[in-house]
Amino acid sequence: MNKIKYILLVSIFALTMSCGEDDTPQAERFGEFVVEFDNIVGTKQMSLKTAGSTDYNFENNQGQNFNLSTFRYYISKIKLSGPNGEVYEDEMKVDANAANVKGYYLIQESEPSSSEISLNNVPYGEYDKIIFTVGIEEDGVVEGAAGGVLDPAEGAWFWNWNSGYIGFGIEGASSASGDANKGFSIHIGGWKDIAPAAGETQRFFNNVKTITLNLGVNAKVSATQKPQAHIVTDALKVLGDINFQDTYGVHSPLAGKPFAENITTAFAVDHVH
Amino acid sequence: MIIAHPVLWVCLFCLTACSSEGDSPRDLTYEFKKPSNFPEPTYTFDNNTITKEGFLLGRKLFFDPKLSRDGSVSCNNCHQQSKAFADSEQHPVSVGIDDLLGIRNAPSLTNLAFFKEFFWDGGVTHLDFVPINAIESEVEMDEDLANLVRKLKNDSEYPELFLQAFGTEEVTSPYILHSLSQFTLMMVSSNSAYDKYVRNEGQILSETEIAGLELFKQKCSSCHSGELFTDFTYRNNGLDSEFTDTGRARITESRQDEGKFRVPSLRNVELTSPYMHDGRFKTLEAVLDHYSEGVVISPTLDEELKGNTSLGISMNEDEKSKIIAFLRTLTDREFISDSKFHNR
Repeated sequence: MNKIKYILLVSIFALTMSCGEDDTPQAERFGEFVVEFDNIVGTKQMSLKTAGSTDYNFENNQGQNFNLSTFRYYISKIKLSGPNGEVYEDEMKVDANAANVKGYYLIQESEPSSSEISLNNVPYGEYDKIIFTVGIEEDGVVEGAAGGVLDPAEGAWFWNWNSGYIGFGIEGASSASGDANKGFSIHIGGWKDIAPAAGETQRFFNNVKTITLNLGVNAKVSATQKPQAHIVTDALKVLGDINFQDTYGVHSPLAGKPFAENITTAFAVDHVH
Repeated sequence: MIIAHPVLWVCLFCLTACSSEGDSPRDLTYEFKKPSNFPEPTYTFDNNTITKEGFLLGRKLFFDPKLSRDGSVSCNNCHQQSKAFADSEQHPVSVGIDDLLGIRNAPSLTNLAFFKEFFWDGGVTHLDFVPINAIESEVEMDEDLANLVRKLKNDSEYPELFLQAFGTEEVTSPYILHSLSQFTLMMVSSNSAYDKYVRNEGQILSETEIAGLELFKQKCSSCHSGELFTDFTYRNNGLDSEFTDTGRARITESRQDEGKFRVPSLRNVELTSPYMHDGRFKTLEAVLDHYSEGVVISPTLDEELKGNTSLGISMNEDEKSKIIAFLRTLTDREFISDSKFHNR
């Protein structure tokens, strides 16, 4: 009798297990994909100076020297897609509880650990494309006060007067700067997207940008393979043809617009391994 | 018949207990309720459900000068219940830390649950983000949000109150802002004589007030429309020909919005003197005189104020006094004496 019970139990167990496996198609098994952001200035690696330093280690397109004291940006809404229809969309959540905030990443040159984003729950398969948003779109603002990387008391840069997050922030100094203290600060924000009515000019400027990059390879996510995509972010491309003599304080959506356009060219896949 | 069986007695007791529980009125003090004559609220209640504990924490913060850098200014300084949570008549613009002056008149905080944008220029798009402006403004409270979090974390009372309200002793800025929102969301002012009149609750308006209501509909309601008496647009109402404060244009960065400010709600308008974004008019009479006599031309002047023969809105003295009689029916005495908003 006991033996029969035992056999029954084992077979039920086995049945359940095998059913579970049968019900789970290959694509619904999950692995990890790592995205790493490397900040550069043209051909040089980025390195920060303390604010106000007169040690200028970089040069802009106009031949003006400069240094950087702050370099930070938000990455959100990361998506991966593959040649065989594989799709991964990073979960997004705005919440007052920092632990529940999902899908928003603040990359800061001053914090090396912030440069690596580990995506879990990526369905097994091959991926050859990455799509992400630079900045915080409308749906990140309209839910109200949020925690974690969206908390202004925890380092989020937020425009109080014109509600919204500064999606990209660059600060430094240049001997060419028109500012009395030779500093410059470029704050790129603005998310409202309202088409002007007939006969009216543009109101608001949406400086949140979506970037699509080909990985250049088919990166395979499996039980044994955890791809790592290295993306370089070029500060020189974001600054574009800036002349620090007359452009040293950018603090509104309209002023940030040309830099936001530059953002679309500033990201590139360096390599995947 | 006498019920003798003990089980039946127990059952009867059950019934009584159940029914008495069902009949006892629920405590609605801290429950948000949309007045039947109001539009749908806009606030994201799903992210921040109002509770008694959250409301009381918000109330404590609202009255606490710790929110300012040197402990001298609370929200209540510029938002007083007796003025429907607008500023006092003596302050055309806000008086903040070190007696520094702001640039605009502190508006009433009533009925913000129904607003989509906040402040005279509409720059803030969510109620949660409103208080940061006052807290961090150099001429209001001049406190850094991160430093306020530190102060409250180290306070002897606050961590326990955050635990009760949000289930976490960890004081963070989103919970500070959520509790302040809970307090202000409950500031629903909907029991004026006018409200009771339109809801057919037995309120009678005088002949003059009714005449004023009719005149108001003809002359004012193209902008001050709906039950909140604003269409939530931004307009230049002809105060100046040149602008020291460009208003809505600061937010939209468009010259076509220079000199425009939000059409304010007129609820409790009798109590919220002085009027306009810079508090330049002390009385309702002065306001109506502006609309009938004082409108000046500028490139962005509102079309509604460009009359066929002269600028502004044509009104004689009798009409003005009737309109003002009607505006006084928008005063909500129950709201300004509601004890749940008292500092205690």
